[in-house]
Amino acid sequence: MDINQLHFPILSVVTFLPLVGAFVVALINEEHENLIRYVTFGFLVLDFIISLPLFFYFDPTTYHMQFVERVPWIKSLGFQYYVGVDGISLFLVLLTTFLTPLAQLSTWKAIDKKVKLFNITVLLMQTGMLGVFISLDMFLFYVFWEVQLIPMYMMIGIWGGPNRVFATMKFFLYTFAGSVLMMVAIMALYFLNHKFTGTYTSDMVKLMQSPLPYHLQLWLFLAFFIAFAIKVPMWPFHTWLPWAHVEAPTAGSVLLAGILLKMGTYGFLRFNLPMFPDMTHAFAMLIIIMAIIGIFYGAFVAMVQPDIKKLVAYSSVSHLGYSMLGMFALTQVGMEGSIMQMINHGISTGALFLLVGIVYERRHTRLISEYGGLASLTPAYATFFMIFTLSSIAVPGTNGFVGEFMVLLGAFLDKHIWGVLVAFGGIFSATYMLTMYKRVFFNKVTNPKNLGLPDMNIREWIYLLPLLVFVFWIGIYPNTFLSKMRVSVEHLLKQVNRTTVVAPAKNEQVSMTKTVVVKKG
Amino acid sequence: MLYSTHDLVAIIPELILTGFAFAILLIDLWLPKRAKTINGLLALFGVVFSFASVLTMYNTNMTAFNNMIVMDRASNFASIVMLLTAFVAIVMSFDFLKREDYNLGEYYEVLLFSIVAMQILASTYSLIVMFIAVETLSIGMYILTGFLRNKDESVEGAMKYFILGSFASTFLVLGIGMFYGLFGSTDLNVIKAGLTHASAFYRWISILAFLFVFVGFGFKIAAFPFHSWTPDVYASAPTPMSAFMSVAPKAAAFLALLRFVAVGMCPIEANWTKILWVIAVATMTFGNTVALWQKDLKRLLGYSSIAHAGYMLVGITAANELGYGSVMFYLFAYLFMNLGAFAVAEFISQKEDRGTEIENLRGFGYKYPLIGAAMLVFMFCLAGVPPTAGFVGKYYLFSAAVKSHLYWLAIIGVINSAISAYFYLNIVVVMYMRGEAKENVQVFNSVPVKAVILIAAICVLYIGIFPSSFLSAALNSVVF
Repeated sequence: MDINQLHFPILSVVTFLPLVGAFVVALINEEHENLIRYVTFGFLVLDFIISLPLFFYFDPTTYHMQFVERVPWIKSLGFQYYVGVDGISLFLVLLTTFLTPLAQLSTWKAIDKKVKLFNITVLLMQTGMLGVFISLDMFLFYVFWEVQLIPMYMMIGIWGGPNRVFATMKFFLYTFAGSVLMMVAIMALYFLNHKFTGTYTSDMVKLMQSPLPYHLQLWLFLAFFIAFAIKVPMWPFHTWLPWAHVEAPTAGSVLLAGILLKMGTYGFLRFNLPMFPDMTHAFAMLIIIMAIIGIFYGAFVAMVQPDIKKLVAYSSVSHLGYSMLGMFALTQVGMEGSIMQMINHGISTGALFLLVGIVYERRHTRLISEYGGLASLTPAYATFFMIFTLSSIAVPGTNGFVGEFMVLLGAFLDKHIWGVLVAFGGIFSATYMLTMYKRVFFNKVTNPKNLGLPDMNIREWIYLLPLLVFVFWIGIYPNTFLSKMRVSVEHLLKQVNRTTVVAPAKNEQVSMTKTVVVKKG
Repeated sequence: MLYSTHDLVAIIPELILTGFAFAILLIDLWLPKRAKTINGLLALFGVVFSFASVLTMYNTNMTAFNNMIVMDRASNFASIVMLLTAFVAIVMSFDFLKREDYNLGEYYEVLLFSIVAMQILASTYSLIVMFIAVETLSIGMYILTGFLRNKDESVEGAMKYFILGSFASTFLVLGIGMFYGLFGSTDLNVIKAGLTHASAFYRWISILAFLFVFVGFGFKIAAFPFHSWTPDVYASAPTPMSAFMSVAPKAAAFLALLRFVAVGMCPIEANWTKILWVIAVATMTFGNTVALWQKDLKRLLGYSSIAHAGYMLVGITAANELGYGSVMFYLFAYLFMNLGAFAVAEFISQKEDRGTEIENLRGFGYKYPLIGAAMLVFMFCLAGVPPTAGFVGKYYLFSAAVKSHLYWLAIIGVINSAISAYFYLNIVVVMYMRGEAKENVQVFNSVPVKAVILIAAICVLYIGIFPSSFLSAALNSVVF
């Protein structure tokens, strides 16, 4: 059942407005750098404002897709331009429209070369990212999934650090290799679904009810798993991430951590869980173990990083481990916690990358040892950094706490040992974040280069304050968000826990009897 | 009379081109040197008229000359691909021939004759007519490869092409002879009927004959292990001709191969799909792996075209309607991406057709933003990244393989596509991420070439985003 309560193609407008913006920016003369920045920012803010009705008109009482648009696209194969959101994707769409303008605002000083190309890249990336979250046709999903690789590839490769070419190639090839396998799985799903239901469709909502037999689920699950696990990234598929983060420009890191990684976790929620429920149960234990290893591994490696940005990058591996853990605990509260964790990670880690960017812009180094005593020099900056650090280590009252607590509770309900084990993870994340904070901000100013370091300017306040609001909003009253995702999550769990009715096609029955006969003979 | 007017209707597109070729031959005699461009314009008109006639007769389905020639949607679709390629190649040649000081009428005339041969190759079910067409078009290609006759590499390339090509033709004619010996005809429908009831011995001989015939076609489409001429010829031929050769003869040869396997060899499908499986895998893997080390853009595109032939063989190996249709669609998509990439190679080339090293693209994306962006699109398209025609084409090819349960073939195919991403993206790296352009690098500032590049980029994106009607046309064209 499709609902579009607005009777207006709002999702298409939100998704393709940045593309229009990219064309507009392309027409501006390269020399008017500030004009380009304003126009891009204007388009992104406008996009955010247009996306707000999604939140206010969202009906939290149904799990059906909302704001749906459906247009035939490739008729001979039945592919459609089919978009819509439910309680799971709603917040990822909003997170994207919310985070990108802030990230763009952070580049006004930092990006001073090829400004026009950069802003076009940001706008194109916005379209690609939104497309992934709204697609309900798997061919369309795959198109957007790959499309957004191109701008990120360009962003790291052109505006990145000294090892940018290696980092960006690794990023692209790693993700591309994972996703082409997913492409084969998508094709196979398309034909297998026809075999078992008699219809050719790439409609994801319909495919979620496809009765696939156990052994076929296995291969499809694995193919999707690899693609998404690389994207998340789960341990041990994470090796591209630190490279990409360290070399990427600040805005690139923010979008990479804040949104691109969520595509992986979102992919699990959209494909693996509802489409292959048997395999989800079969692999849940393994994936939980991998997630827990990721939580600890990320934390341990983060502890020894001399570079603040790399530290935050490894903390991402750890944080997304929580998200995966909550998801595969397969409990209502864990799943909701997992989605909360995705949003929280976008906010906190995004903010931390922005903060690292601020100090890097002034000093052109990110080594912890270069700093010390910044609290006395730049009090406002230190305060912001403190709040986001606390949010990252999940102190009660901040958004991080809500997500992690729900994940832990969910994991505990699944198996007590998971909850107990992972509770220790929190200690480690406090260790690395607070040690880093102490070394950068406390003690005396030891490095003379830091003297006279200016505090945050108005532009920086503007892009950090909105994030701060959400740290406390989610931390204190998460129900605004949880209430909207509850029904969708319930439905998802129902899909995961359905007993799969394996309806073997006629010819397969025949072949089975044949083998029996042969054996008897 | 051996033929009627009805027969002539089926070859109107070919007749138009032949007429224009003769016209060029005559008019060229009286043209002063500075007016030689008129030859090119005449050739262009010939192509346009032939194209128009193909379009008006697109849906006709007729046979002529005692079933030697057919005109159906498949032949017309292939003709469209070939004529579009020819059109672009001629446009690319105008300034090129002037620069090289080889502005001769023969160039256009040989080109037109070879298109006629390709059209014939695409519109017959008779092996012997295929052989004649292959020979005719090859002669044209040999001449055009060595057209810059004072350039050593060019002559060397042509010579290699000629010797290997003659060798391949020998196998082709041997295979055809075997089929004739077995079934008393070279008509594919007769061979099919014969094969259906053939004894096991006849079937085995047929498989052998199939292999021999495949050598001939495999040579034209540059399938492994008959590919070795490709990089040399593409790198040394005049760039517009490399572009032409990478698409048009392939379109014709692929359609002929399709007719051969899908119609003639239909009864032994289980056998030839296995053979083609191996060849497809070897072709893609070889092309992509060797391309990783290439330093010259034209040579890289040569290896890349081997790889792409491998992808298209996947569609044939799938042996279903979707696969055959995907091959036609891919040829159509490949036309734009490959011609675009070759046009960029021409854009950066120097006098004597040199200077196409990838290194010369350094900083290209900033020096020529639009053409750089177009090249970026072509590279992503060749690598098979959406939203480009290359992605859609590959998606269909591989999904045809999946439909026939050839999962491993599809997986090997997509892994190849990931490998290929490395060298295509390396060009993007050089264009955008390795600093500024060298000051002394000159480009070939030809307006038609620039137009070709930009229009091809737009087409690649358009087909990638709205593939529906093109795909339907391709799927409907190969209902044999």
